[in-house]
This record gives sequence, structure tokens and C-alpha cells, in this order.
Amino acid sequence: MNFVMPDFMPALPEMFLLGMVCFILLLDLFLSERSRVVTYLLAQSTLLGALLLTVSLYEEGRALTFSDTFVHDPMGSVLKVFIYLATFLVFLYAKDYLRARNMFKGEFYVLGLFGVLGMNVLVSAHSLLTIYLGLELLSLSMYAMVALQRDSVQASEAAMKYFVLGAMASAMLLYGMSMLYGITGSLDLGQINTSTAAMDNNSMLLAFALVFIVIGVAFKLGAVPFHMWLPDVYHGAPTAVTLYLSSAPKLAAFAMMMRLLVDGLGGLQEQWEGMLILLTVLSLAAGNIIAIAQTNLKRMLAYSAISHVGFLLLGVLSGTQAGYAAAMFYAIVYVIMGLGGFGMIVLMSRAGFEADSIEDFKGLNERSPWFALMMLILMFSMAGVPPFLGFWSKLAVIQAALGADLVWLVAVAVVFSVIGAFYYLRVVKVMYFDKADVGAPTVSAGFDLRVVLSANSLAVLGLGLFPGSLLALCVAALA
Amino acid sequence: MNLLLIILLPLLGALLPPLAIRYGRSASAWTAAAITLAALLFALGPLVAVFGGAPQEVHWTWLPQAGLDIHLRLDGLAALFVLLILGIGLLVILYARYYLAERDPMGRFYGLLLLFMGAMLGVALSNHLLQLLVFWELTSLSSFLLISYWHHRSDARRGARMALAITGAGGLAMLAGFMLLGHIVGSYQISVILNAGDLIRAHPLYAPMLLLVLLGAFTKSAQFPFHFWLPHAMAAPTPVSAYLHSATMVKAGVFLLARLYPALSGTELWFFLVGGVGLATLLFAAYNALFQHDLKGLLAYSTISHLGLITLLFGIGTPLAAVAGVFHIINHATFKASLFMAAGIIDHETGTRDMRLINGMWKYMPHTATLAMVAAAAMAGVPLLNGFLSKEMFFAETLHLSALGAFSWVLPAAATLAGIFAVAYSARFIHDVFFNGEPIDLPKFPPHEPPRHMKVPVEILVALCLLVGILPAITVAPLLAVAAGAVLNGPLPDYSLAIWHGFNTPFIMSLVALAGGIALYTQRHKLFALHDRVFPGVDARALFWEFITWLMDTAHAMTRALENGSLQRYAALLLLTAVAAIAWPFLNSTAPIAGPVPAAPIDALTLLGALVMMAAAVVTTVWQRQRLTAVIALSVVGLVVSLTFVRWSAPDLALTQLSVEVVTIVLLLLALYFLPQRATVDSSNLRRGQDLLLATGVGGGVGLITWAMLTRPYTTIANYFVENSLPGGGGANVVNVILVDFRGFDTLGEITVLAIAAIGIFALLDNLRLEMPATDDGGRPWSSERYPLVLSQLTRFLLPLALLVSVYLFLRGHNAPGGGFIAGLVTAVALILQYMASGIDWTQQRWRLQYHPIIAAGVLIAAATGAGSWLYDRPFLTSAFGHFHLPLAGEFELATAMLFDLGVYLTVVGVVMLILANLGKLTQRSAGEGGT
Repeated sequence: MNFVMPDFMPALPEMFLLGMVCFILLLDLFLSERSRVVTYLLAQSTLLGALLLTVSLYEEGRALTFSDTFVHDPMGSVLKVFIYLATFLVFLYAKDYLRARNMFKGEFYVLGLFGVLGMNVLVSAHSLLTIYLGLELLSLSMYAMVALQRDSVQASEAAMKYFVLGAMASAMLLYGMSMLYGITGSLDLGQINTSTAAMDNNSMLLAFALVFIVIGVAFKLGAVPFHMWLPDVYHGAPTAVTLYLSSAPKLAAFAMMMRLLVDGLGGLQEQWEGMLILLTVLSLAAGNIIAIAQTNLKRMLAYSAISHVGFLLLGVLSGTQAGYAAAMFYAIVYVIMGLGGFGMIVLMSRAGFEADSIEDFKGLNERSPWFALMMLILMFSMAGVPPFLGFWSKLAVIQAALGADLVWLVAVAVVFSVIGAFYYLRVVKVMYFDKADVGAPTVSAGFDLRVVLSANSLAVLGLGLFPGSLLALCVAALA
Repeated sequence: MNLLLIILLPLLGALLPPLAIRYGRSASAWTAAAITLAALLFALGPLVAVFGGAPQEVHWTWLPQAGLDIHLRLDGLAALFVLLILGIGLLVILYARYYLAERDPMGRFYGLLLLFMGAMLGVALSNHLLQLLVFWELTSLSSFLLISYWHHRSDARRGARMALAITGAGGLAMLAGFMLLGHIVGSYQISVILNAGDLIRAHPLYAPMLLLVLLGAFTKSAQFPFHFWLPHAMAAPTPVSAYLHSATMVKAGVFLLARLYPALSGTELWFFLVGGVGLATLLFAAYNALFQHDLKGLLAYSTISHLGLITLLFGIGTPLAAVAGVFHIINHATFKASLFMAAGIIDHETGTRDMRLINGMWKYMPHTATLAMVAAAAMAGVPLLNGFLSKEMFFAETLHLSALGAFSWVLPAAATLAGIFAVAYSARFIHDVFFNGEPIDLPKFPPHEPPRHMKVPVEILVALCLLVGILPAITVAPLLAVAAGAVLNGPLPDYSLAIWHGFNTPFIMSLVALAGGIALYTQRHKLFALHDRVFPGVDARALFWEFITWLMDTAHAMTRALENGSLQRYAALLLLTAVAAIAWPFLNSTAPIAGPVPAAPIDALTLLGALVMMAAAVVTTVWQRQRLTAVIALSVVGLVVSLTFVRWSAPDLALTQLSVEVVTIVLLLLALYFLPQRATVDSSNLRRGQDLLLATGVGGGVGLITWAMLTRPYTTIANYFVENSLPGGGGANVVNVILVDFRGFDTLGEITVLAIAAIGIFALLDNLRLEMPATDDGGRPWSSERYPLVLSQLTRFLLPLALLVSVYLFLRGHNAPGGGFIAGLVTAVALILQYMASGIDWTQQRWRLQYHPIIAAGVLIAAATGAGSWLYDRPFLTSAFGHFHLPLAGEFELATAMLFDLGVYLTVVGVVMLILANLGKLTQRSAGEGGT
């Protein structure tokens, strides 16, 4: 049998990433504690390098390689760019946090970059095999990252839960994939789409396969009722890791859903639409209502993430190009806002003080009016108040759902977003109206963190005033 | 372009006052005033055009993907609001300059005020629903910041939060309503929507859409039952109240009613919803206003009441009523703004707003008192003042309504009743504050007239009240005509703005109201007592908080149910959902579960195997607490699985399974060493029962699915490999040929990963020592660590035999069951047996082998084999094979694949040994003490 050399060009960013991660992994062994910053800088430049490569390849158009298991297309490129950017911000925000907790180690960056590689593979997957490969690479990196703070009971517990539940979900996904393979005889998403579309719609086996695949996707996204890991993990993990978990992987999860359900099973849209509707309603309801009861900000943001997933699904289940673009827009917007939200917790924290309780934000307006304003922008944006960015993303998915005549679903979404507004407002109230405890620390984070986090929050406002370009990018990527 | 500038000037200009504050407090105020004036100047041109009958319209593309452009339109209604917003804004800026105390950050105040002004102008000028919504929410937001301006006060905090929660929620509901409206019409452009009234009213989605839009309007305009936020928002600085709560923000709701009037009104639903809510608000708030002891609280309830009046007028739905509604918007803005300012002056000078303390102010500030009394008279609807005119029009409209049939008297009666209360609370405002004896315990005493400039805005507004009231035809008529014309989107009805219409029914109603109100006021003390007895603190606010509490409780309950932190619970939920999700297609499908492929007949042997496997699985589960038993039972399961492979002609798999099984059991045995012999009981019987059910469900589901899968026809890819194995790869053993040839590259990757994993495990375990307890719970020694003689002798004897077998398996691997992987496992098992039987030290003394080099050699050999094909100008991993004759052994075949297989073999041996030997080392108490 002859082995044919594949075309490496479409996967150039991934190759670069892999090479750099291995290099950093080795180099880090020989660095002293004091020169650990080299690892950090290298990791950041790796991300920038990959970003440049991806951008330069954007114009290439759609291309398949590695025996058609890997696809390069505009949607993938756009998502990858935001994955790099989000991870770049995560690394930047996390630096001081990690330092203060003796966690400023090469592992964080290596695992983080491996995760990025996993996300990239997932985003560019064109076969069940690559999807699973990317998913596992990402998940395993994340399990390890959650457990990184080994002396923290909370973090270890979170990692354990994440791993066990993640393994179960992964197994179910794999089970679904194997059935799909059994039915269609192919791992290639394009071929699967052609053969399933031609099949009898009532095929029971196809329905089983679909159920398992949707479960796998829903778990990764954190949609109710497959969300149980999410609050515990977000809460238990060190905030720097939570920051990572809550940002770029959401984009990868969205891509995974797009690849599996749209690229691979687009012909069965009628069947998965129902399941997604169920997931949407449950996510909106549970996410928004439970969030109200939370006193821990990380937990609250975790539930808010769950409810945001509900909105994201709203765009996907409408089953139109506009809907997909809206969902993609939503995912990107959520990541920008989530980065800011968790970034604020990192900003407020210091050694021995996590600042992850809503109480810790009491009277922030007195201590630091500027960051209180930044947090206010983020919270309002998450609540979907115009003119902030979060409003436009909600609007886009709702319009998509209306376009698919899902009026009642839109009503449900709006009712729950009204309820959702309540807990975001509580944070604002605490910041602006409650008295700070005596001796509550002022913001003392590093200069880079302050500047970039402010830029992050202002982007939510600025992009909110001019959301056209970002939305246009999403529409173009899916055209 | 001018239209955009009108909005942008205050919005962008909001940045300037905070910057100007460094040049002094006045600089900040004058900057704000200059910006407002500039906006007014830019508005002049378009305004003149509008009064000439030509609405101005502009649009730019902004967000085409969401169907959103910047659409601005200045028609009569918008013109009215632009004038109100900018005009009163200018007065408030002047007023606030003297109102705010030294310590109040003035730059921030003016910045926020300008922000709010810009947002409000945006609402007025928007010709696009979504764009309107953006500005709408921006008003909520900036008003929140303005109300909370004095954030050191707890009432300000609660008030601001409640205002934001209510109006924010209303705004979101309105968003949904707008989206439905856009969906119905197919456009979000308001000028298009206004002309599509018939289409909208006939649409099945009309009712939900109307409800949602009205929710937004009612919450913003503090209509019953959403009114309660407004009195609590009175904690705001008075200039804010004078601006937001008289002329602008609360008017946004009625503005929306007026704006969408042509498109939405004219149905019964509209009449009962809008009219009903308006009427309820009118009465409820008028009644409540009388019982407020807080000066601003009285004004707040009166505002609610007047907003209810305007809402009711739009609800009535006749063109004349709409004109009256627009007229009252104008009048209410002027007299209420001046009243708030007067109240602010009194508060400013006395230090309190409690009307039970502030008495007899006439003596101390006669000028202010005069102004306030005129304004309050306008509020009461006294003739010759503007309030009288619109109230007369309102009374007249209530009389002409026939929609209620036999109950037509209700509306005029209610209107008169509301009028009585309005007069009563106005009387209270005048009499309690300015007369009624001497002031009691004022925080600031004696009060005196405020600075001259603080009174100027009030004077201007009161003058307007008088001018409009006396000379309506030459002052307000043109404005009213264009504004009402825009609201009706059609011809204006006949109406007269004269102050004397003769001695008709509306005039009698006015008289009744005046007389009744004054009579009511004289009896106020009895009423207060009655009110306190009958309605002790009834307030919709309580309902709001109750709802919040309920929501919190629900949230807590849901947290407890779904998110109790227990992994078992999560896993159970996950599996349960999966079972339910699988059951659904089962139950929904009419097709049989089994497919068309007939099941193979079951013979006794297979059945026996299956039964043994099931029994072993049950034993494993039931006796899982006795660990050794469980492990043995588990190995039985593995054994039966390999036998199954034998039964179904897959000897290769069987061999692999068997060797892997042995290695895993060894691994488990090593782990068992660290655990006590028996596990403790840690789950209740109930829990186990639940788990049993769940396990049965999952197992049953998987079984059914497997059955369904296996009885359906499928195309196999095996044929390709079977056909090409010998000609293409030179081997008859298809499995091995796939491993080392067809998918050789994958295998190379796999062994590399394996090697890395082994080194990783080595790195983790190296130098790790686990402390063992000397005895277990029962007091028995933990482990005796003796190596039985028989076993050690036997294994020594077995070693060469096992190695021979592995060589045999390796050599024949390419054509018959066997191969590098299996051979590697067999070798490893043979070696590990030595460790187990004779101890690590004993073995290592005799077997000085480093596993790292073996692994490296394995991977390198495999890679080199692949690279070797480059020498022959072939692609990586091209294989070649040939047949050779060996003496004694006979004819056999050599393939490059075999060399590759050698690499696999070495890697597997190295990896397994490295891992197991190092795990075994953990059991040593300490170095050198292990062996006997």
C-alpha cells in the first residue's frame, strides 16, 4: 500500500501550533522559576503566529486534506481567529493570578495550547474521527487544567466530576458515531450527509444515533439537562482556568455542533430540531432561574453561560444560513463578554482572596468607579440591554427563530431573558449601592491586565454601537 | 444630517462636562447648556420645515444584516418631544447648577443628563423600531445612573434598582413585541408600519404583539400595576425628577402609544387594555397622591395619575381624544416640571420634604410660593391655566363615548372622581406647604428665598402655563396641530381651543371637581385616619418583592434538586436522560425493533458462554466489596469474551483480548495491594435499588439498540481487506496486515503515543513511595509479602516456554493469528510473572534490563522501516515482501512489514514492563527491604 503525502497547507496553523507546543514543552523543562515568563511570552507569540497564518490562509477558500478528514473553510478560519484571540486574553489575564498562587508553571500554557490545537482540529473536522480526536484533545487538556491546583480540594473534586461525566458523555457520543458509521458506512461528514439525507426519515437506528450525538454535543455546550458539570467545574476550578474553560471552548463546541448536525446530518434537520428545542427551553429556564439563587459569581456566570447556550441553540435550530450565522455571532459575542466577566474576577482577586463571591463586589463603585463601570457594561450586555453587544446577538438569534416561525419559542426566550436580567442587575446593584466592607481592598492588578480588560469591556460597548462588521463576518463565513 | 446631529450632540457631548469640571462648577454647567442650545439651534431648521407641513426624514445603512439602518424622522409628534426635551432640559440644567451641593460631583451629573437627553431625543426621532428600542433602553440605563446619583442614600439605591428592573423588563418585552410587529409588517420602519394598520389589526399575532408592546409602554409610563417604581425613584435629585419624571422619560411610554396609535389602535382589545389600564391608573394614583406625606411622593403619584389620564385618552381611540392626549402631554410637562422644581427649592431651603413639617412657607419665600401655587392650580385644572383646557377636553370626550353601552356613565363619573382627588391633592400641596400655621422642626431654619437663577426656570414654565391657559390659540395651537396630525396620521378633527365653551356638562364636571376637591381636602384628617386603617401599607411594591422572593425560592429549590454537588446524582441524571431520550424513538416508532436479517441460531455452547459471562458479571457487581473475588469474576468475563471471539472465528482478536486481559488483571492486582481486602458499605439500600433500576434501564437500552443494529443489513468494508491482504500486503492474516501495512502509519503513531504515555507514567511514578499501614481495620497484617516457593519455581520454568511461544506468535503473525502486538504482550506477561512470583529485587538482580532503550529501539525500528522505502524511491512505509527457504523451518515469508512488526513488539514489551514494574515498585515499604 502506498502512502500518499497529504497537502499540509490548509492545516498550516495546526502544524505550527503543534510544533510550537512541543518546543515550549521541552524548553520549559530547562527554564528556571524566574525565567518562566519566557514560556508565557512564547505561548503568546505562538497564538499570534497561528493567528497570522490563519488570517493569511483565509482567502484560500474551502479545501479538504488528510484524506478528507480535515477541512479548511471560512467558518473554521473565523472561529479559529477568535479562539486564538480569546486564549491570548486568557493567558494575559491569568498571568498575575497564577503568579500569586504559585501556579505560574509551564503546564498551564502547554495544556492551554494543546487545548487550542484540539479546538482547531474540532473546528476543522470533516470526519467523525477528527471530531472525536479534537474533542478528546481539548477535553483531556481541560480536565488536567482544572486539576492543576493540586492542593485545592475544590479543584480536585471539580476535575474528578468533570472527568467522570465528560467520559460518560464522550462515550455516548462515540456510541452514536459508531452507529452512524454502521448505518452509513462512512466516517466522512460529507458522505454521511448524502447518505442520511437519502434515507428513510423514520429509521429508528438513525434516530438512536442522532440522540447520542446530540447528547454529546449538548454536554460539550453545557445545555440542560447535560449541564451538571458546568457550575461545579466553573466554581471549583481556579479562576484562571475557569476563564479558559468559559471562553474559546464554547466556540469549538459551536463548531462541533455545526460540523456534526449541519455538515453531517443536515438532512435530518427536522429530527434534531425538536431535540434542540427541548434543550433550548430547558437551558433557558434552568439557567436563568437557578442563576438567581447563586451567591458565588463564578457559579452565577456558569448558569448564565447555560442560559446563553439556550440562545445559541435558538439560532442553530432555526436551520437557516441566517440562523447559523446568528448563532455563530452569538457564540463569539458570548466569548467576548464571558472573558470580560471572568476577567473581572481575576482582576479583583489577589493572593488568598478569590473575589468570586458577589459580595466581594460590594461598593466597587467607591473603590474603583472605572472598573465598576466596566463591569456594569458587561452585565448589561449579558442581560441583553441595548445598545451593548449582547443585545445584538440576542436580536440576531431571535430574528432567526422568528424567520423559522418559532414564535412561541421566541416568547419563551424573551420571558426568561427578562428573568435573567434580574441577576445581572443584582451584581450592578451590589457594586453601586452596597457599602464596601471596611478594609475591602482596592483594585491593584497589573497595568497590562487593567488596560486589556478595559479594552475588552469597551469593545462590548463599541462593537455594540457598530455590530455590523462582526455580524457581516459571521454571515460571510457561513455563506 | 441636522437630525443626526441633534442626537449626537448631547450623546457625544456627554463626555465634555466631566472634563470641563476642572475649570469650575459653572464651566461644567455652561458646557452642558451650550451643547443643549447648539442641539436646539440645529433643530430649528428642520422644525420650521415640519411646521410648514413637511416631515424630515434621513437614513443611513448601519447594520444591513439585521435589517437595521439608521432611520430618523422628524414629524409633528417628534417635533413636540424634541422641543420638550431640549427646552425643559435647558431649564433643568440652569436649575441644577444652583440646586446641587458643593460636594456633589457636578461633571458626572451633567454628563449623565446629556446622555439621557441624547437617548430621549433618539427615542423621539427614531423611525425604526429596533433603533427606537436601543435608545429606549439607553434612557432606562442613564436614568438608572441619574436616580442613583446620590448613591450614599439607601432609598436612592432601592428606587433606582426597582426602576431599572421594571423598565428594563418592560423593554425586553417590548423587544419581543417589536420583533413580532416587524414580523407581521415585514419592515421595522415606523413610517411603513403606520400605514399598515389594517394588516396589523387583522393578523393572528396582533394580540400577543400588542400585549408585549404595551407592557413596555406601561412599565415606562408607570401605569398601574407597574406604577410603584416611580414613587420610589423620587430619591433622585430633584432636577432629575423635574426632567425625567415630568416631561421626558415617563412620557416615553405615552409617546410610544401616540407614535404607534395609527397602527395599533381601533380594536376592542386596544380600547379595553389601554383605556382600562389608563382609567385604573388615573383613579388609583389620584387617590394615593392625597395620602402622601412626602412632597415629591405627592407629585409622583399625581404624575402617575396624569399619565393614566393621557393613556386613557389614547385608549378611548377617537380622534378628538387623541388630540386631547397630545395636548395634555404638553400641559402636564410644563406644570409638573415647574412643580418639581418648586418642590426642590423647598427641599433645598428647608432640608426636608415631609409636608407634616413644612408649613407656612408663604412667610419665608413668597415669590416661590406664588409660582408653586399657580403651577399647582394648573395641575388641579383651575380655569385660565393650561391644565384646565386639556382637562375640559378630556371630560368632553368621556361623555361622547358609546362603547360601554349602558355603562356609559361610568367613565364621566370616574373622570369627575379623579378630578375631585386631583383638586384635593393640589389643595393639599398649596395649603399644607405654604399656609397651615408654622413650620415644625425644620432641619434648616429659617428658610429663605433661593438664589435668583434657581427661580428663573420655574418662572418661565409658570409663565407658559398662564400663556397657554389664557391665549391657547396663538401660543400652543400650531404645535398641537402638527403633533396631533402626526399622531392621527390623517386629517385632524374639528376642535376649539377657546377657554370658554359655554356652561356645558364638562364645565359642570370641572366645577364639581373643584368644589368636591376642596370639600374633600377640608375633611382630610378623617380621611387620613380611614386610609391608614383600611389600607395599612398596601403597595404593589410588596407584590414585586413577593414575586422576587418566590423567584428566589424557586431558584433555591431547583438548585437543590439539580445541583446538589453529588457526582452520583449528576451521573444518574445524565444516564436517566439518555435512557429517556432513547426510549422516545422506540415508543414513537411503529417499525419493529428487529431488522430483516435473521438472527443466527443459538447453540448450546454459545448459550453456556453467555450464561457464564452474565453470571460472572453479576458476581462482580454483587461481590464488589470483596475485591479479590470481584477481580477474579471480572477475569472470567474477559475470558468468555475472548472465547466468544474464538467462537465467531476471530482468533487474532481472541489472542489479543486474552493477553490484554492478563495484563489488566495484573494491573488490578497491583492496585489491590493498596486497598483493604473488603470495601466499606457506602451506599444505602435505597440508593442501590435506584442504581439497579438505572443500570437495568441503561443495559436494556444498549441491548435493544445492539439487537436493532445487528439485525439490519449493513455493508462491510472487510471484503476489501480480505481481498487485498495477500496480494497487496503479502500476508494472509488480515488483521496483522492492516496493522503493519494498510494502516502502518497509524500504527507508527500509536506506538509512539504508547511510548510517550509510558514515559509519562514513569515520570509520575518515579520516586513515588506510598506508605502502607501495618495492619488493616481488623488488626490483620496488611501483607506478608512472601513469595511462594512453588509459584516462583514454576514461573522460572515457564519463562523460556512463554518466550518461545511469543517468538512463534511473532514469526507467524503475518499469515496466521499472532503478530508483534500479541507477542509483545505475551513476553511482557511472562516477565512480569517473574516479578510477581519472585520479587522485584530478585528479578532485577538477574534481569538487568533498562526498558527505556527497548521502547526507543522499538519506535526507531518501526520508523526506520518506514523510512527505508525512501532508499528505493518509494513513498514512506511502502512495503516489500519475499519468500525464503530456511532449513528445518521450511518455506516462510519475510516482509519489511515484519521488521515494522518487530518495532511494535519491542515497544509493547518495553511499555508494559515499564509501567507494571514501576507500579509494582510502589508496594515496596522502602528501598532494599522488599525481597525475602
